[in-house]
Amino acid sequence: MHLPHPAPPTDEVLEDCLQAIHRLEGQGGGANLREVAAFARITPATASEALRDLQDRGLVRNGQPGSVTLTSEGRRQAAGVPRRHRLSERLFADVLGLPWDRVHDEAMRLEHALTPEAEVRLATLLNHPETCPHGGPIPAPDGSLTVPPTRPLDGVPAGTRVWIQQIIEEEATLLRYLASLGLLPRTELRVEEVAPFGGPLLVRVGDARYALGREVAAKILIRLSSEQGD
Amino acid sequence: MPMSCHGALQELRGDVQLSIALAGNPNVGKSSIFNRLTGMGVITANYPGKTVEVQLAETRFGDRSIGIIDLPGTYALGGISEDQWVARQALLDGKPDAVILVLDATNLARNLYLGLQILDMGLPMVVALNVVDQAKARGIQVDAERLAQILGSPVVPTVATRGTGLDALMARAVDRATHPAPLPPRLRYSVDVEGAIGKLEKRLAARADRPHGLSPRAVATLLLEGDPEVGAWLAGMDEADDLVRLRDEMLAVLRDLRGEDAALLLSRERHGLAGLIAVEVERREARRPLVADRLWRLTTAPLTGLPLLGLVLAGIFGFLFYVGDWLSTGFSALWTAYASPVIQWPFRALLGDGMLSRTLLWGFDAGINAALAVGIPYVLTFYILLALLEDTGYLNAVAFLTDQVMHKMGLHGRAVIPLVAGAGCNVPAIMGTRVLGSMRERVIASTLIVLTPCSARTAVILGAVSLTAGWKAALAIYAVTCALALLTGIGMHRLLPGRGTGLVMEMFPFRRPGARAILKKTWYRFYHFVVMATPIILGGSIILGGLYESGLLWSLAAPLRPIMEGWLGIPAVAGLTLIVAVLRKELALQLLITLAMVQYGPQASNLLSFMRPDQIIVYALVNTIYIPCVATIAILGRELGWKRALLISAFTVGLALLVGGAARGLINFFGA
Repeated sequence: MHLPHPAPPTDEVLEDCLQAIHRLEGQGGGANLREVAAFARITPATASEALRDLQDRGLVRNGQPGSVTLTSEGRRQAAGVPRRHRLSERLFADVLGLPWDRVHDEAMRLEHALTPEAEVRLATLLNHPETCPHGGPIPAPDGSLTVPPTRPLDGVPAGTRVWIQQIIEEEATLLRYLASLGLLPRTELRVEEVAPFGGPLLVRVGDARYALGREVAAKILIRLSSEQGD
Repeated sequence: MPMSCHGALQELRGDVQLSIALAGNPNVGKSSIFNRLTGMGVITANYPGKTVEVQLAETRFGDRSIGIIDLPGTYALGGISEDQWVARQALLDGKPDAVILVLDATNLARNLYLGLQILDMGLPMVVALNVVDQAKARGIQVDAERLAQILGSPVVPTVATRGTGLDALMARAVDRATHPAPLPPRLRYSVDVEGAIGKLEKRLAARADRPHGLSPRAVATLLLEGDPEVGAWLAGMDEADDLVRLRDEMLAVLRDLRGEDAALLLSRERHGLAGLIAVEVERREARRPLVADRLWRLTTAPLTGLPLLGLVLAGIFGFLFYVGDWLSTGFSALWTAYASPVIQWPFRALLGDGMLSRTLLWGFDAGINAALAVGIPYVLTFYILLALLEDTGYLNAVAFLTDQVMHKMGLHGRAVIPLVAGAGCNVPAIMGTRVLGSMRERVIASTLIVLTPCSARTAVILGAVSLTAGWKAALAIYAVTCALALLTGIGMHRLLPGRGTGLVMEMFPFRRPGARAILKKTWYRFYHFVVMATPIILGGSIILGGLYESGLLWSLAAPLRPIMEGWLGIPAVAGLTLIVAVLRKELALQLLITLAMVQYGPQASNLLSFMRPDQIIVYALVNTIYIPCVATIAILGRELGWKRALLISAFTVGLALLVGGAARGLINFFGA
């Protein structure tokens, strides 16, 4: 699909390219033109045009020979797209009460239309949510995913509310079994009971209660919930 | 023996006009619905190598014959655990015309996850919104109409234990099965996931050979979830490169976009979606927790849990002790008075009173009597208690409380469930260890089960020891056996390579058990016990009768003398009964009295006339600990391999001799 005269890249193409470079950088090293084009699903010609445009805007600079990297401003904007998408989803779901089966499509349109100022206001309106309605993390305005300090679940006293942050497990089976029960990262749970003498923990997730052995709990990294109490 | 699942499902489909599968999370009242919908003619089927069973039954609704496929209770469909695998496989193999999803109205969000998976597989679904009464009591109202709208599937509120709503449920299910509804409204995941599914779906639509005739969307979803069967299908087909590449690309894109594996991502989004649906259809009033719920929490609270467990265990043993003993005595008396003469008559009439006739009567009269006198009073009673513990959810509290102890033996709390069942009969308990993850755990748990006194051994302990040496001595035998099991477990955990896995188990709220479900479950287990045990008991008794009637038995006694008299300090004739009791454990006592009467004369019908109480204690102790019985050895061999079975058996013989000798020394030193 080679177009002889690529049309000037639209804002959406530019954002797609920005995203592509952002992700390629996440995999280590810079990004070359071919990779960016493949990732953004555009022709190399369009990509080349878009990269020049992005460079002009100070979002991308040349890195290693043959590759480009994001400037700090570029990184901020690149992170902004998922942030804006997920904030928009929350807006449609929480505030406008749109059926969830339409939230995604609406958010797809809105994410490109939001100005930085609107984004700030939206985040304030929604009380700075940390996750989208599906549980995906919403990056901070600087593009970083805040990783607060964590500790293992097995040291937590009864009555504590915690968020699951991460599950350390070499074999995927436990992780996937816990996932099928709804014990996933970024899930909130309440420790109801801690059996004495190193016995298991009893935790509540929504309406379900689970017993977790200490050795399992030790593999679940958590952070304390900001809203404590019953 | 349960039949093969695949074959049974095929046969069922051939026999009936419609087939309907029942799916749901564990403990949501699915069995109550199954029991209400069907009669006694239930077929149990399983897949080779799996213990989790699928139940099949035929029923009629209106003018139609309907096959009901009761899937195992499961949180999800997939390959992570046996229940998930069996449920998934039976749905794919059984190709039901409709699936009834049983939802727990008090825990909608978690329960809906399974429903979303069923819809993802493109199966026509009808929802039984169960335990609406309990939800109401907890201040939860569910808008069934809105839920139906969202899921694109009829929703019928039910209270299965009372049978409420089940006619309407069946009517909707039959309707759904016969009039395929237009496609349900698409339940949509995030853009990223839908994008990946959509791309694969488009490509898959061109393939006519999709596994199990699944829809393109279903196959796309399964591919992203890493389903092994669909993965193998993809890898095995011609010109697969294109699709394989597309799938790998989609997996990479999702990983890149969302930072986690597609399988996990789908889990997350399904839970998210399920949660959103629950929020949309539920109305909750803040209420004080129910009294029942608050009391139920005492079963797991640190201060009250263990004392309650002690009470429950004492209650079980007390019940078995008094009720079982009373039934056993009564049953034997009835048998001797009425059944024996009827059975003996044809043998005597045809064969006379010769050796052959007497040998056969060992099996057909005394053998069956013993099987029933142990089976009905102890095994049946125990199974009723076990079903009660299970159906109230208390067994999970036991697992929670004992996890710590089990952990020291390389097991986790759930292993306590087969261990408790071992007190009824070791054989099904050893089969029950299949719920444990690794072979290491199964070997440890099976060894502990072998050391758990089953009903037959309990009969000997109660009949011999508590009658002659008092109940304290009987209790002491249990205490010694428990301590040995504990030490064995700890030792095995230290010695065997590898490590244990952890406990992850749902804790159910208190459920009032339904009498129907309890009785049906008890009957089903008891029936399997009888089918398994009767041939062994019959055969064993006849072999034993032959040895006895021909006088060969006595020649076996001589070589035992040094061990029995020298080391254990019990009469050689008693040692003889220990050897042959491997055929039937409870026979040891009965045989002991019989042989003693031959050797010492009729006054030997009283045990105390030829054995002292301390000898009886040693005797019962050895009988309790050494190799359980041939049926148990056979099941050990089948489940764990013959090498392990023989090692475990040899270990218990050595342990029994060691402990027996030590007990003799200790009793002599402190006692007499």
